[in-house]
Amino acid sequence: MADKESSTVVQQHPRLGTDGQGFKRLIKAALAWLQYHQNAINVLNVYPVPDGDTGTNMVLTMQSAWNEIKDSPEHNVGRVAHRMAHGALMGARGNSGVILSQVWRGFARSLDGKKVYRAPELAAACREAAATAYKGVVKPVEGTILTVARAVADSATRAEKDTDDLARMLERMVFAAHEAVMLTPSLLPVLKEAGVVDAGGQGLFVILEGMLRHMRGEPIAEDAQMADAVHLIATEVEPGEAGYGYDVQFLIVGQSLDVDQVRQRITEMGECPLVVGDPETVKVHVHVPDPGVPISYGAGLGSLRDVVVEDMQAQYRDFIAERDLTPAPATSQEIGVVAVVMGDGLASVFQSLGVEAIVRGGQTMNPSTQDLLEAAESLPARQVILLPNNGNVILAAEQACELGDKPIAVVPSRSIPQGLAALLAINYQADFETNVDVMASMMEDVKTGEVTTATRSATINGVKVTDGQIIGLHDGDLKVAGTKVEQVVLALLAEMDAAQCEIITLYYGADVSEDDAIALADLLQQTWSDQEIEVVFGGQPHYHYILSVE
Amino acid sequence: MSEQEHSLGRIEVSPTAIASIADEAVLACYGVVGTAAKNLAVGVVSAVSSARKRGIEVRVEEGRISIDVYVIIEYGTRIVAVARSVMNVVKFSVERALGIPVVEVNVHVEGLRVSDID
Repeated sequence: MADKESSTVVQQHPRLGTDGQGFKRLIKAALAWLQYHQNAINVLNVYPVPDGDTGTNMVLTMQSAWNEIKDSPEHNVGRVAHRMAHGALMGARGNSGVILSQVWRGFARSLDGKKVYRAPELAAACREAAATAYKGVVKPVEGTILTVARAVADSATRAEKDTDDLARMLERMVFAAHEAVMLTPSLLPVLKEAGVVDAGGQGLFVILEGMLRHMRGEPIAEDAQMADAVHLIATEVEPGEAGYGYDVQFLIVGQSLDVDQVRQRITEMGECPLVVGDPETVKVHVHVPDPGVPISYGAGLGSLRDVVVEDMQAQYRDFIAERDLTPAPATSQEIGVVAVVMGDGLASVFQSLGVEAIVRGGQTMNPSTQDLLEAAESLPARQVILLPNNGNVILAAEQACELGDKPIAVVPSRSIPQGLAALLAINYQADFETNVDVMASMMEDVKTGEVTTATRSATINGVKVTDGQIIGLHDGDLKVAGTKVEQVVLALLAEMDAAQCEIITLYYGADVSEDDAIALADLLQQTWSDQEIEVVFGGQPHYHYILSVE
Repeated sequence: MSEQEHSLGRIEVSPTAIASIADEAVLACYGVVGTAAKNLAVGVVSAVSSARKRGIEVRVEEGRISIDVYVIIEYGTRIVAVARSVMNVVKFSVERALGIPVVEVNVHVEGLRVSDID
């Protein structure tokens, strides 16, 4: 009965949508990560004026954006994005801050009226963000934050065709941003002379990376001291169907080249396209499975210069190495547990076992996906396990996994005893997936009995029940019916084969006195003298007793 | 004329040339979507020397440069931030090119261009 397909049941869900509150958390993470890199970005600042304030300006702009939304309870992502863009505009500082505010302005406009964004809306918003940013200047200078914004929009558009998982999509966008930043010195000579990448572009990359770290449940250091403690969980960007392929770069030198047309053709060929230039010279960068394709195309338009072809797999490894990716075992702050529980007694039992958030609910009052999501997101933990403790709540819990912006997994406990058994199996030293698997298999080892009063007459599983009778359920199935609670508990335990088990726990409900519960336990001890019998105050409504047999 | 003395002779840079440098800088400045010709009826021509290049006015007095720029800014950007960055960029570009201090850059926002309504 253990290991019952547990790994397929509890696999981590893709994140399919982000609502207003989810977007808020992304912005918060972006701001924190940007603040952490502020000085490093300042140092890069040589263009347009080498005044070393790009990082500071971008932080102040994002800070103003965050201040505008931080107290907002709004769930509509379009409205939150608008408030946030407004905040960015009001607080825009410096050249990079102004561009950033335009990026958010376009992003927000595209999400107008959207309650939630999914992959297609995110891609469209990124395109609008880049387009709006380009409109704000007569002579767009390539090799700046503008170039990075367009690279991100292009990669979002491509990624959206391959996946609907927002985390996977953001991974691709971050990678594209990094690529574009690394190309900035070859596009803007002043950067090359100074030996730096573009500061604003780097800032945009950091913003996206902060969001990605939040989605992956990775730590976001809020001050420099934490830097050394930062260890990431290495998960590689999944290659597309064609694998990583090659990174191809070259210059086309010719006459009356049509930059837009070249961009369109190159974009059709592969990932991370970047095409900039003028009618005489066009710089091309693209990731393709076959480097011959873009090179032949380019050679047909003019003469090629500075052709560079690199193996992407190696490049990606370097990127990962640069980000100091060391798989680290989970620590206690990394996994949090949210449990759905009814009754004060049961709530404190779960809390005493380390559950950080309790969502009230159960048989007659199922919590919403939103309730579960808010509880999960409120925890400081980087990854969250949900214990629904009721068959009717599992679906809502699974939906919460998809909407959460940190990794959330459901251990599909169908009852309080199952939830407790799963909880006892948690090992804070082990990683998230292992815990989820182990918890799911451990909960199968416990039997659940529930004793309640029938609310209508019926015949179920061959058991005839009349309204007002006491009934006993074993793992959710009606097994016994009777007129007295004690009689039903005894019959139910016999049905559950309690003689084969070691521990019987009685969780007594809100309508049962402690004396009655202890009296019942004494009665049970006469029948099951070899078993250990525990009495615990559950305080649950409706159910006189919940029985756990293990 | 802006002049610098060297052992071989003099280098003169005309205000028009300075205006070209400023013009390039302004048009690459984020948020600026155009320069505007100032209304000549109200324009005061500098007594010393003056040059205009589509909305750029350069005055050179005693080897010090002051520049007025007349710009159209993208609607929806923070005008103060854009104007401040115009000041910085113009001052930086001209000083880097000439090595002569720019004492002031006055930014006149002559209009806004509306490309999108939020």
